[in-house]
Amino acid sequence: MDTSTVKIILQILHYLFFGYAFTAITSYIILSVISGKETIEYLKKNSFVNYKDILSSTMSPSITIIAPAYNESLNVVENVRSLLSNHYVNYNVIIINDGSTDSSLEKLIEAYDLEKIDFIINHKIKTQSLRAGVFKSKNPAFEKLMVVDKKNGGKADALNMGLNISKSKYVACIDVDCLLLENALQKMIKPFLEETSAKVIATGGVIRIANSCIIRGGKLIDVNLPKALLVQSQILEYLRAFLLGRMAWSRLNGLLVISGAFGIFDKEIAIAVGGYDTQTVGEDMEIIVRMRRYMEEKNEKYRVSYIPDPLCWTEAPDNYKIFISQRNRWTRGTIETLKKHRKIGFNRNYGSFGMLSYPYWLIFERLAPIIEVVGIIYFAILVILKEVRWEYALSFLMLAYIFSVLFSIIALYSEELTFHQYKKKGTGYKLVLLTALEPFVLHPFILYAAIKGNYDYYFNKKKKWGVMQRKGLTSS
Amino acid sequence: MATYQYLIDYFNEAPLLIQLAWAVSCILFTAIVILTLYLKLIRATLRKKDIETARFRKDYESTLIEYLYSSSEDGNINDQQIAIIEKLNVSVHIKSKRKIIISILYNLMNEVSGEMSDSIKTLYFKTGLYDYALARLENKNWYIIAKGIGELTRFKIEEAHDLVEPFIKHPRHEVRKETQLYMVNMFRFKGLSFLDELKTPLSEWAQVQLLETLQKFDDQQICDIKPWLKSSNETVILFALKLAKMYNQFEVKDTLMELLSHPIKKIRVRVIEVLTSLYGIEAKEMLKANFNDLSLEEQISFFGLLEKLVVPSDEPFIEKHLFHKNFEIQLLALKILKSINIDKFMGLSKSTKSRGNKKIIQFVTNT
Repeated sequence: MDTSTVKIILQILHYLFFGYAFTAITSYIILSVISGKETIEYLKKNSFVNYKDILSSTMSPSITIIAPAYNESLNVVENVRSLLSNHYVNYNVIIINDGSTDSSLEKLIEAYDLEKIDFIINHKIKTQSLRAGVFKSKNPAFEKLMVVDKKNGGKADALNMGLNISKSKYVACIDVDCLLLENALQKMIKPFLEETSAKVIATGGVIRIANSCIIRGGKLIDVNLPKALLVQSQILEYLRAFLLGRMAWSRLNGLLVISGAFGIFDKEIAIAVGGYDTQTVGEDMEIIVRMRRYMEEKNEKYRVSYIPDPLCWTEAPDNYKIFISQRNRWTRGTIETLKKHRKIGFNRNYGSFGMLSYPYWLIFERLAPIIEVVGIIYFAILVILKEVRWEYALSFLMLAYIFSVLFSIIALYSEELTFHQYKKKGTGYKLVLLTALEPFVLHPFILYAAIKGNYDYYFNKKKKWGVMQRKGLTSS
Repeated sequence: MATYQYLIDYFNEAPLLIQLAWAVSCILFTAIVILTLYLKLIRATLRKKDIETARFRKDYESTLIEYLYSSSEDGNINDQQIAIIEKLNVSVHIKSKRKIIISILYNLMNEVSGEMSDSIKTLYFKTGLYDYALARLENKNWYIIAKGIGELTRFKIEEAHDLVEPFIKHPRHEVRKETQLYMVNMFRFKGLSFLDELKTPLSEWAQVQLLETLQKFDDQQICDIKPWLKSSNETVILFALKLAKMYNQFEVKDTLMELLSHPIKKIRVRVIEVLTSLYGIEAKEMLKANFNDLSLEEQISFFGLLEKLVVPSDEPFIEKHLFHKNFEIQLLALKILKSINIDKFMGLSKSTKSRGNKKIIQFVTNT
């Protein structure tokens, strides 16, 4: 290759990187504007709603909370208490003890006065078989609780067992260690009942970070900003993702994922598509994509809704090792889901699902870390070759950094004007300072985890969930 | 100064793209500074507002309770109450205070009844809160109108009927729903007359709220629901079916029988469920005869009906479905057989070879 050809290739690469960054930033701006509109609309719609009637009505549809538990003996009793304290009348809780090797089952039996009952399961979805069986409480105070002890099959398998057992029209799939606010179910069920022009197949909720928050008796007493910079940064990241991203996708009816930590599904559709995929580590995203695909192929009008209220609080990783393991899994889950459903991508038969949501996830979620790393390598080569035009590089780096800070501040602004959870004096300064630090303390690790996830997906097929150690939320 | 001049010169001599990048960066940086300051202001304002709200709430709560308990026996407003009304008259002009007063009054309204409830209503009128609610009805924003109607409903203000009723045909379903709730809260079953001409869908959310409202009344004398069962609006039929079940409407059985052949499956399934609760024995033979033409959901519902209304002569039919491929039907058929012919049921475990069937039989035997 002569010098002019190399120059042309370099020029093309420059424009490709520039074009990608420009499109990404434009998409973030557009999504945040749409999110703003959707949030305002949501607040208006809910400013006069009387939830009390739905709450107390036996005519309200039944909901089953399905919570898989694996070796959660440390907090399982308290966590179940939190799930049982919901104010919604027509609901029950199924805890699936997924082959725990610790004393989870014994603790539950003791705490809730459980006894084994005769139960027959309609195996609409194939799962691992029962181990100790099905348990109900002898105490009428816990009549809503059922504990199912089965052989280990993973989270997806446990959720499928719950889908088989539930007799309700709707199922709320939740991580057992999540703290659900008392009014969570009635708020989450509203889209299913309110929509008349399309079938709502699932509703997702915002996940908030509960580290350092004060929780007593399964209730959130006080919201605090954690001390660890890593956890603080995740708070900012969640605010951005949920308030500025998913709200927009909800309005566009383009949500591809509902957090596995908390989501409500139309049970009939979830079973019709075969339940959760036990072969993926991203079962929460995969089931939504499959449900959407099912509805598109049936040519039925449908919606995946999203509720921005802070209803579900969970523990975020507080050390980099666990954080990287979690994000590694998320990356692999995204790759697996997009690959499995590649037929949808850029396929007009799937409407905006195929032409907008899927391509967006592919280009700006799946490929983003790869493009970023290629960009970094390319930049390093240019530095070595002394080909960097520093005046361009610095001005655009500065622009990108300032934009990222501004975007985070807009997320904070959105939070303050809507749900205003971090009320304490001094927290505002910390959060604003965090917007400047977050690109250095969180983003590099997200990038590393994503690249590791890609590597593990292609070269380390045996890797599955990874370890997610939790310290528990039952602090006071 | 020299640095500043250097930067200006650098900027002026830089290529256009770099100039643009720095210019945008400066604009964004300015936006960050402004938003940060504004964020500080918002946070401080919200904190202040929270403190003030708590203070006002405490203050007004005691004032309003004082108003209620100082009522004279003849029902007339006394001097002490006039003084309180005058105090409140000043406060209701401030939006934030008005909001607090309304919220306290509403909470009190839920806790009291009879004369005290009337007393709150009087206060609502005398303080001018009623006028504010009416003003909301004239607002161009749909959600303000909905809020206004909701408030009038909560304070049971029948006087606003003529002004609220036209919103029953509002293009926004939220406003329509609030109007429907107002009508039912004020006029009970008569308030359901909007169903006669309802062309738009009645959401499940609205249906649950309407039914809950109706159940609160002591007078449970329901009006004729037949016209609604014959409505061309699918959601009105579904709502009327809920009413039929909830209020044991045996007199509409004939109409329900007609609905068994309704073109919409969801309605047919619900009709079977309602007939089950109304002991619709008439439906049993008809459905039995057409069993194979029914959809799976209808078949399951029918077995639910049979479970309740089975007689020994149904045994041959039940026997045919003991090993139905659908789990629910199989389970119900076995349960029903157990209830009408225990000997035959007990013999099943010996005659069946399938492990799955044996398991279900074992389960039914034990339960």
